[in-house]
Amino acid sequence: MLTVGQLLEPLSRHRTDEVVVTTMSVVRPWGRLSDSDLDFASADSAMGHTADLALGIALAQPSRRVVCLNGDGSMLMCLGTLATAVDVRAANYILVVCDNGVYEITGHQPVPGSGQIDYAAMAQAVGFRTVHHFDDARAWAEAVPELLRESGPTFVHVRTEPGDQGPIGRCPEEEARYLQHSLAEWSGIMRDALVAGPSGRT
Amino acid sequence: MARRSVDALLRAGVTHVVGIPDNTSGPLFDTVQRHPTIRLITVTREGEAFALASGLWLGGATPLVVIQNTGLLEAGDAIRGTAQRMGAPMPFIVTGRGYAKMEHAGVTRDAERTRELLTRPDVDSTALFTEPTLDAWGIPWGLCSQEDDMVEALGDLISGAATGLRPTALIVTRGFD
Repeated sequence: MLTVGQLLEPLSRHRTDEVVVTTMSVVRPWGRLSDSDLDFASADSAMGHTADLALGIALAQPSRRVVCLNGDGSMLMCLGTLATAVDVRAANYILVVCDNGVYEITGHQPVPGSGQIDYAAMAQAVGFRTVHHFDDARAWAEAVPELLRESGPTFVHVRTEPGDQGPIGRCPEEEARYLQHSLAEWSGIMRDALVAGPSGRT
Repeated sequence: MARRSVDALLRAGVTHVVGIPDNTSGPLFDTVQRHPTIRLITVTREGEAFALASGLWLGGATPLVVIQNTGLLEAGDAIRGTAQRMGAPMPFIVTGRGYAKMEHAGVTRDAERTRELLTRPDVDSTALFTEPTLDAWGIPWGLCSQEDDMVEALGDLISGAATGLRPTALIVTRGFD
């Protein structure tokens, strides 16, 4: 089982121009490691729709990899997205389920099926082109560079230890820059970066 | 087929149609599916459509969401937490199940929502809830019924969303040209 730090640090080290979409327990930890306009915190409680939003970015920006750091609870709220991602053949889409088994933000209540659901098998059955499972920090760290290059859609299940993150807000006092702005402001910043970027639409 | 409608979407710059078909919107989906440039993305739940379309917009695309009013009732938090909070111009079509039934039953849109009304077999409560729901969620909306021009209504929908920088709805109670 990985700590959140062991999960995020290798990704932060190898990430170049990929979009990274975060939600719930990894929002603040990622914001401490990264200060990119291509980070997006799906922290406004759209009930599990982070993976859908990230998939939309991937479809609009086919030459750029999009990494979605989803939670297990969030994934269960929107399992249909697995089918959609496969159906649209999103080769640049990397969906990571950070499986800590609990609703961490609200106080560690158990996620249904915690410890019993084989998310990797689920993704395999739906038809994801590439599926990985990690519960060892070294194996994950070694795999990240290749993961960021391979053709997807890619599904990654990572067993993580629960952390101590509480409710997420957006205000100037937040340490992570992407939480210092309203969602509308940050959406404008990110869209400008994507559309003006080398692989963006013009 | 819905060729005039799809031509109108193309002229308005729509790049993706995202949603779930019903009997009214089926011809629109069929026509988009065969279209050389507008991409059709069918999804598994209506809330998924709004989140995915919000991502498309972030990435520089111009999506249109197409759902039935039953699905609108499912999609509330997805609209609120993505497109609306993002300030995204998000035009969406809501096909109006139950509107004809409501008219045949002689029920007006402002009828009191009593238990008797909401359990009547000749009334589809979906239509009763559609407009008040959009109002409650702060979503501007228009109505395109039999006597209205579909092409004009679609143009107004997309330009209205772009101007208002917010989710904007068109309730459609007729077939697509």
